[in-house]
Amino acid sequence: MKKNLLTKLGTILVSTTIIGASLAGCGSAKADNAETAISEEDTATADAAKEQEAGDAEEAQESAEEAGDGEEAQDTDAVYRTLDEIKESGTINIGVFSDKSPFGYVDENGEYAGYDVYFAEKIGEDLGVDINYVSTEAANRIEYLQTGKVDIILANFTVTEERAQEVDFALPYMNVALGVVSPSDNVVESLDSVGADDQIIVISGTTAETYLEKNYPDIKLQKYDAYAEAKTAFENGNGVAWANDNTEVIAFSLENEGFTVGIPSLGDADTIAPAVTKGNESLLTWLNDEIETIGEDNFFHQDYEATLLDTYGADYENTLVVEGGKVQ
Amino acid sequence: MDLNVLRSYIPLYNEALLLTLKTGLLGILTAFAIGLSGAAAIYFNVPVVKKVLGIYIELFRNTPLLVQLFFIYFALPKLGLRISAETCGILGLGLIGGAYMIETMRSGLFSIDRVQSESALSLGMTDRQVFFHIILPQAFSVSMPGIMANVIFLLKETSVFSTISLMDLMFTAKDLIGMYAKTIECLFLLVIYYLIMLLPVSILGSIIERRVRYAEFGD
Repeated sequence: MKKNLLTKLGTILVSTTIIGASLAGCGSAKADNAETAISEEDTATADAAKEQEAGDAEEAQESAEEAGDGEEAQDTDAVYRTLDEIKESGTINIGVFSDKSPFGYVDENGEYAGYDVYFAEKIGEDLGVDINYVSTEAANRIEYLQTGKVDIILANFTVTEERAQEVDFALPYMNVALGVVSPSDNVVESLDSVGADDQIIVISGTTAETYLEKNYPDIKLQKYDAYAEAKTAFENGNGVAWANDNTEVIAFSLENEGFTVGIPSLGDADTIAPAVTKGNESLLTWLNDEIETIGEDNFFHQDYEATLLDTYGADYENTLVVEGGKVQ
Repeated sequence: MDLNVLRSYIPLYNEALLLTLKTGLLGILTAFAIGLSGAAAIYFNVPVVKKVLGIYIELFRNTPLLVQLFFIYFALPKLGLRISAETCGILGLGLIGGAYMIETMRSGLFSIDRVQSESALSLGMTDRQVFFHIILPQAFSVSMPGIMANVIFLLKETSVFSTISLMDLMFTAKDLIGMYAKTIECLFLLVIYYLIMLLPVSILGSIIERRVRYAEFGD
């Protein structure tokens, strides 16, 4: 008995130590991130500065730690790859949706396709590198950038203030607002009319979720972590309505009979833009230039006609497409 | 690490802990009930039931809980059977846990030497008495470590509930990260809460293990 309890206590001790250690590590990583703006200028002169200011005790300690930790320290310092590093490696990692037709999905041949992917292909072509598509879910898009698992997120990523604090957005390439779709025999036309026991389906990590949590805290949300699951649940009749990007709910009601978009536009008009890891200036600048340049050839209108026309028809072309990064 | 953020998330995590514990415990009770009756049925060699149980065990032990939940939650409504997310979670845990529990308890029952039941019978005890007073207590003692392992396994399996929109601990953390991107705080709380939930279970388990030892024969 005593021995056993001792083992348990040991486990607790060990686990707290591990947590503590990882927290200390993460804490300093976070601090590093916060100082990126400053440290970036610093980096250029860092080596020289460090030699000169060897007297500075803290910095000396830091560099000693860095020397000790070797790789780990390097990883936390630069999680992202600069434009040159990407070109050198010959492959760019782009995070896209694999289940959000017609923006990012895997077609019947197993190839990635859609509005976002069409743009991704262009990026790969103009950079002269191969593309490695990484399938993402709504809730882990920021994580993928912050941990350097992808170079660019092109997964229908709506620009919001909260997200802009965590990642860097390039120029927008699409307009979006929120929308609510519901079964045609019981259309939800106003969120105020949603009953106390009714549930609205949302996807975890989307702007629809944040908007409803903030503005309608009393409405019960039924959250799913992937598009495919939310769709199936909604088709099965779980929940009175589904709130999501209006592009998505319009597409859903056009593709599935018996569903009507009761609220076509909700909240602020937002834009969708590519995102890169916070601080990755070289890639961000290149992306912005690229969006402006290809805008001159009306690239995104071509993109719309190639990928979205079948779903939305020509009516939505000018409402949805943002050309050359300029919102009208 | 932002302490204010931690504090503001704690109510949400408490809610998630309650839900996890509630579905977890009900699921474990179901699993236990299935396990006990199933193991007894196999021990007494009930003709048809034994075959059916064999199929059940193979089916549920060799498919992931995630797949089972998918089936119960997404496919059954298409066949006209609607189950709430919470019931679905409990049912899923109960069914997969039941399959594991049957195997664990069966091994316990069969580990008791035949000599014992024969001796008890020759002393004039009824079949019923032999099972409940001689075989079962010893079988429990033998299979207790396995049962506790299953209990902890089942509590941890609740982490796949996000598929069926149940806001368990894991999904709450993922959801908050998706909304506010406070990754470190969320994951820290997640580890802490799982420890808060599982360490007492684990300690309780070792205490129970000692307690049921009294039944063991010839120790």
